Amino acid sequence: MYKYVAKRLLYMIPVLLGVAFLVFAILSLTPGDPGSIILGITAKPEDIAALNAEFGYDKPFLIRFFNYIGDVVLHFDLGTSYQSRQPVINDILARFPNTFLLTVLSMSAASVIGISLGIISAVKQYTALDQTLVVVALIFASIPGFWLGLMLMLFFSMKLGVLPSYGADSLRHFVLPTITVCMTSAAGLLRLTRSAMLETIRQEYIRTAKAKGASQKRIIWKHALRNAMLPVVTTLGTSFGASLGGAIIAETVFAMPGMGTLITTAIRQKDIPVVMGSTLFLAVLFSLIILIVDVIYAFIDPRIKAKYENGGRSRE
Amino acid sequence: MNKVLEVKNLSIQYKTDLETVYAVNSISFSLNAGETLGLVGETGAGKTTTALGIMGLLPERTGKVPSGEILFEEKDLLTLKEQDMMKIRGGKISMIFQDPMTALNPVLPVGKQIGEALLLHNTENLSNDEIEKKVEETLELVGIPKARKVEYPYQFSGGMRQRVVIAIALICNPNLLIADEPTTALDVTIQAQILSMICNLQRMYKTSVIMITHDLGVVAETCDKVAIMYAGEIVEYGTLGDIFTGEIHHPYTIGLFNSLPSLTKDSHRLHPIEGLMPDPTVKPEGCWFAPRCKYCTEQCKKQKPPVVEENGHQVRCHFPVHQKGVE
Repeated sequence: MYKYVAKRLLYMIPVLLGVAFLVFAILSLTPGDPGSIILGITAKPEDIAALNAEFGYDKPFLIRFFNYIGDVVLHFDLGTSYQSRQPVINDILARFPNTFLLTVLSMSAASVIGISLGIISAVKQYTALDQTLVVVALIFASIPGFWLGLMLMLFFSMKLGVLPSYGADSLRHFVLPTITVCMTSAAGLLRLTRSAMLETIRQEYIRTAKAKGASQKRIIWKHALRNAMLPVVTTLGTSFGASLGGAIIAETVFAMPGMGTLITTAIRQKDIPVVMGSTLFLAVLFSLIILIVDVIYAFIDPRIKAKYENGGRSRE
Repeated sequence: MNKVLEVKNLSIQYKTDLETVYAVNSISFSLNAGETLGLVGETGAGKTTTALGIMGLLPERTGKVPSGEILFEEKDLLTLKEQDMMKIRGGKISMIFQDPMTALNPVLPVGKQIGEALLLHNTENLSNDEIEKKVEETLELVGIPKARKVEYPYQFSGGMRQRVVIAIALICNPNLLIADEPTTALDVTIQAQILSMICNLQRMYKTSVIMITHDLGVVAETCDKVAIMYAGEIVEYGTLGDIFTGEIHHPYTIGLFNSLPSLTKDSHRLHPIEGLMPDPTVKPEGCWFAPRCKYCTEQCKKQKPPVVEENGHQVRCHFPVHQKGVE
């Protein structure tokens, strides 16, 4: 198991290099240079060239790329923002806690709501309750996040005036963005849990459990749930990772200083160090989350655990 | 001898919005303590449905029992509440399923799966340690080293998994064991082992067994009574002797025996019964075997055949074939 985790950590190196190269290449291929964006179109060409030279933007693409990677790997330095002239890491550390809190809040709420309602829906299949849940889930899965966010803001902030509509100063500021992000994820998880459960309870080993005289409750909790959880854990992991990369819509609608808005602003300003720094930071986090999901797999399914321990081979 | 199970005029249907499948049609049979009844027939004859009906495991929404009684130790199982049925299921009546590859939960150790049956029917108030001990004994009984109880199903071969399934079925010493084609999914050498194991255990515990199979060799080896099923009906019913050496037979039984390849006669061809089982969603007039029967007459096509009985040996046919033995 440890060996497997170590191997996976090593695999992260080429993945991160690939991500870095791709993002760097895309940024360089897009038109415009940082000097002219910062100084504006009225600036003199000499000033623009001087500023670009200061950033090292006058050098060829590959040299800039390897300089950047060298700084990151050898000096753990993510560079300095072109705009604020502050170290990139400061920007990230200022923004990330907000995004992290929003993600943790919304994902825990989504999994509690989505998974439990999904199980109920599957167990009560064909009942009015099940049908209602399916329709409600479909509605929430289809509602665009920005619209839901605006409606929540309109109702709770403007009409009732009970919750703030922008910022991230207190936990109360997180309520509406959390609901916005949570509802879409919860709806997806509900639908997924329901279908995974329905598939599992049709398996023959569930019939074996019934034939032993096990009650419905016992069958659901002891036999079906663990088998149905594999796809749910996968989706939960990826949406957790994706949400860390910026619940961009919620952050924008609620003017919350988070990773999503940090990256989008930096892209618009062609602030290459900020874009690169935050992308790499998120790529590391995302890879780690996927690794955690894979480790959780092993605890859910002994066959997968055996596969990891045999270095990829299993008896089946 | 006391009757363990008596099934009277049992019919089972699968009803959906689109159609009704007449899976089992008014069948009756009985089983004494320690006896083995063979339920024989081709795929789709209603054997497994009968078994699930007895277990109370028919699909909730579609499986319907419009008529009949299933008397187990003089109680009608069909009138029992789900809670009371749960106590019988797995305790007094248990079932061995056809496919050992899918019948075990992949994420639980086999010892836990075997112990669960006892845990759910813990009438003697055994402690956890005692249950564990019983699990180990049962594993040894079915020929698996007790140390393997912590292993998962994927670590066992098909034959070994079927032993685990049998251990689950036997740990509570059931009065009735339903074995639904217990050897179909296994290769021949393992088949013999598993069958003789079931028979030995049956003798040890005086369990009554319903052996569901389409293999007449298995019937000859294990059964006391035989019911030949066709399209949800029992077409011939009697003791093992009645079926194998009796005087009168249903043409289907003869066809079934003739379709076995013979080792003693020098024949180059197999003799299958031509045609297929009738559509189970329609109940045709007359005898349901008529379209495939080589002795078929006009009367057979129009009139439902009566049950001809000779000393308890029943044949549902207008013109039973008089023939000593079936081959």
